[in-house]
Amino acid sequence: MVDSGYGVGVIMVMGAVTLALRALPFLAAQWLHKHPAVQALGRFLPLAIMTLLLVNAAVGAAKSHTGGPWPEWLAVALVVGLQWFGKHALVSILVGTGAYVLMRNAGALPI
Amino acid sequence: MSQDPPSSATPAASRLSVLALTAPVAMGYIPLGTVFGFLFVQAGAAWWLAILASVVVFAGAAQYMMIPMITAGLSLGSIALATLIVNLRHVFYGLSLLNKLPSGRWQRAYLVFGLTDETYSVLTTLPAGTPQRQMVLVALLNQGWWVLGTAVGAVIGAQAQVTLVGLDFALIALFAVLAVEQWRGRQTGAPLWVALAAYGVALAVAPQHALMLAIVFSIAAGIFWQARAPELRRG
Repeated sequence: MVDSGYGVGVIMVMGAVTLALRALPFLAAQWLHKHPAVQALGRFLPLAIMTLLLVNAAVGAAKSHTGGPWPEWLAVALVVGLQWFGKHALVSILVGTGAYVLMRNAGALPI
Repeated sequence: MSQDPPSSATPAASRLSVLALTAPVAMGYIPLGTVFGFLFVQAGAAWWLAILASVVVFAGAAQYMMIPMITAGLSLGSIALATLIVNLRHVFYGLSLLNKLPSGRWQRAYLVFGLTDETYSVLTTLPAGTPQRQMVLVALLNQGWWVLGTAVGAVIGAQAQVTLVGLDFALIALFAVLAVEQWRGRQTGAPLWVALAAYGVALAVAPQHALMLAIVFSIAAGIFWQARAPELRRG
């Protein structure tokens, strides 16, 4: 069993560290506003970070099983294609996730 | 409130679009939250601790990382350091939102607290002039989905049987959808190519810290890029 007092302590510490990281740019806002490089970064970073989160999550998923990263490649390509042409986020996510679950569980299905 | 840009959206329309914006997040957060709550309780913690973690910490990757650490009984200092490393990327999220967040004290504070990967990506997708209340609602709903999923997973506990693997792909699909939308609205494609190249190198050099290294490299490249493209500096 995990001691609840210890658990609360861990949660408070993790919460404080996370909040401090998220608040740091806003606390330093006055300084950051003087630097045009920071403003330009705000336009450059979102696409870069979203790409990184996508690739990092897909790589993490691919490492969680044996047999190569094919389900991840195929499912991500499917989602990207659906979203690019269809523009329905929910449909893209549902179909992509459905296809991924099928591929990952194909061996276990009683066919 | 005097800084509020004029908004043409009717309340009903904006409520609809808030739901549409957070629906994909819900698709990722509810199953992922459920898995977190389930695993956390399985690891031997009380159900209410799982919910408390999702209310107070509200950071997916860090919370997943928390499960083996709390089972091993690591010191608070080690856990703080690990959280710092895993969540360091959040420092850079605020940079691109400095002028977008509400001016109201509590609304601003809550949005800063709730700046997860997904909330960040939805907020950066919102058009300029989005009402403050709508931004806060997006963040609140997103945390609501996460806490709801956690509660379901924690309460089901040992009774649940996870037979399908890969349901958490919903979160990867969400990142893919948001990357496509960022790409559609791009000024330049450079951030994507820089990110891919940086991640490739980082993965080869230090797989454990690939995300963090690639983010740092992307920031450096972003500074270099804006110095080379002065016409993009202002409007």
